[in-house]
Amino acid sequence: MSAAAQLLVVEDDRNVGATLVERLRDAGYRVTLAESAARARAAWRSQAPQLVLLDVGLPDGNGFELAAELRAAVPQSALVFLTAHGNPDQRVRGLELGADDYVTKPFHFRELLLRIQNCLKRAQDLAELPGEMRGVVRIGRARVDFERFSAEAGGQVHALTHKECAVLRLLASRVGKAVSRDEILDRAWSADEFPTSRTVDNFIVRLRRLVEPGPGEPQVIRSIRGVGYLLTEVTRE
Amino acid sequence: MNRKAGEGSLSVMPARRARLVAILASLWILLVMVLGAGWVALVMSQARQISALQALTGSADTQVAAQWDSTRRRIVGESVVFLLLLLAVTALLAWLYWRESRRARGMQAFFAAVTHELRTPLTSIRLQAEAIAEGEQRAELARRLLEDSSRLESQIEKTLELARIEGGGPLAEQSVPLQGWLERSVSAIAAGHGGRVAARVQVEEDLPPVLADATALQMIVRNLVENSARHAGLPCVQVSLAARRVGAEAVLEYRDDGQGTDAQGRELGRLFGRGAASGGSGVGLYLVRALMVRMGGSADFSSAPGQGFKALLRFQCSREEPAA
Repeated sequence: MSAAAQLLVVEDDRNVGATLVERLRDAGYRVTLAESAARARAAWRSQAPQLVLLDVGLPDGNGFELAAELRAAVPQSALVFLTAHGNPDQRVRGLELGADDYVTKPFHFRELLLRIQNCLKRAQDLAELPGEMRGVVRIGRARVDFERFSAEAGGQVHALTHKECAVLRLLASRVGKAVSRDEILDRAWSADEFPTSRTVDNFIVRLRRLVEPGPGEPQVIRSIRGVGYLLTEVTRE
Repeated sequence: MNRKAGEGSLSVMPARRARLVAILASLWILLVMVLGAGWVALVMSQARQISALQALTGSADTQVAAQWDSTRRRIVGESVVFLLLLLAVTALLAWLYWRESRRARGMQAFFAAVTHELRTPLTSIRLQAEAIAEGEQRAELARRLLEDSSRLESQIEKTLELARIEGGGPLAEQSVPLQGWLERSVSAIAAGHGGRVAARVQVEEDLPPVLADATALQMIVRNLVENSARHAGLPCVQVSLAARRVGAEAVLEYRDDGQGTDAQGRELGRLFGRGAASGGSGVGLYLVRALMVRMGGSADFSSAPGQGFKALLRFQCSREEPAA
């Protein structure tokens, strides 16, 4: 359950890090603090945290690059950026990297706690797969494993972010039927996030790169003008 | 809850502005070229008419031809000068635009860095205060609150000093004896870092007072110590300050035993330059250098991975007796 969830706080500011760890422990979480990118890597290898709170500016690396590594190494972890960089471009970049949320400093601890609970709940929902989605399913040219958050295409294995998984699962659950863009937003993004059309389109573009057999007209994830998207084929392996 | 995705890019203004500037500049050059060409054509036409009139009034052919040659040479000369001036003005405008763009980018980077430097201690203060408001009563929370308040204060002071120095604000010319003064200042600054800085000060006994603004000198030392505390990567950084006379100058050598950086000396004191490390606004070392230059001295920085950070400050020695 979320109250005993394992969290990893990656924060280089001594006071912010120490106070966050104390307060999150008081709230019932198991918390590890990493003050650098190197320590964060070691921590997620040994603990596989359920949620990572990640600062963007770190003394030995950039949080955005670290997020990509985290996604590949521990795809099931929820990811929340916690940063003083609050400009919209960076926020969009963070969310495109697969972050589940993006919290700008300074924040209220109660608000952070609520966001953590929401992210953990969504991660848990993603982990609970219906029977037809278990194991490996073939979507277009990709072999997708929703349990492992991975897809194999063209001889390469790709890590899927939580949002990519959520979007693909939603489309797969309605194979042959159009899914509206609003429904995709509601299922994959929280009420506190405000993705632009560019964000949603980028997710679809990335998914198409994985599943479409060729670069021409999309055959597997088709755009339905004025409605949304339609997945044409899913087969169990 | 149903929501529509936001429309359009979030940062279209700079691209629009750049496009507008390019269009206006092109229109301006086109307009000036058309006017210039029109002016040349008009003058040439008038010169031809004058020559024709002179021919009609009975002037000799050779005289008319000479007059025409002279007029044509003058028009060609004026046109060349006009075009050169036009090119020079265009180049000047382009240079001014480039300089302004660079300055704007620098300011943007500075505000981003300062915002970061203010938001981080504010976050910490809020977390501490919320914990206290919810009943936590611990000396550790109060200590962190005080430390974060000092960080905020220091950042605000640096920003204000930068604005003052960049605006040409004056500095006092004082005779400052480093003997005694340096040790007192460094001890007070190190104490503010709560045991994370251990300082050693050594001043040559017969070192004459240096020519400096005491407040600026205080800020220089504080920025150096803060820089070490922030970037050393150690729980407790050792800093040493040794002042001695070298020729007509007084040299203050500052060192720390931190992890160092591979950034070059000029890069270390560059305004808004923040290197690979995440912290800092890129103002501290720039202010050290700018203040030293304004006081008639100089500051050189060097660092290497595993070899800490070193600053060499050169002061003019004062001929006056120290201020009481």
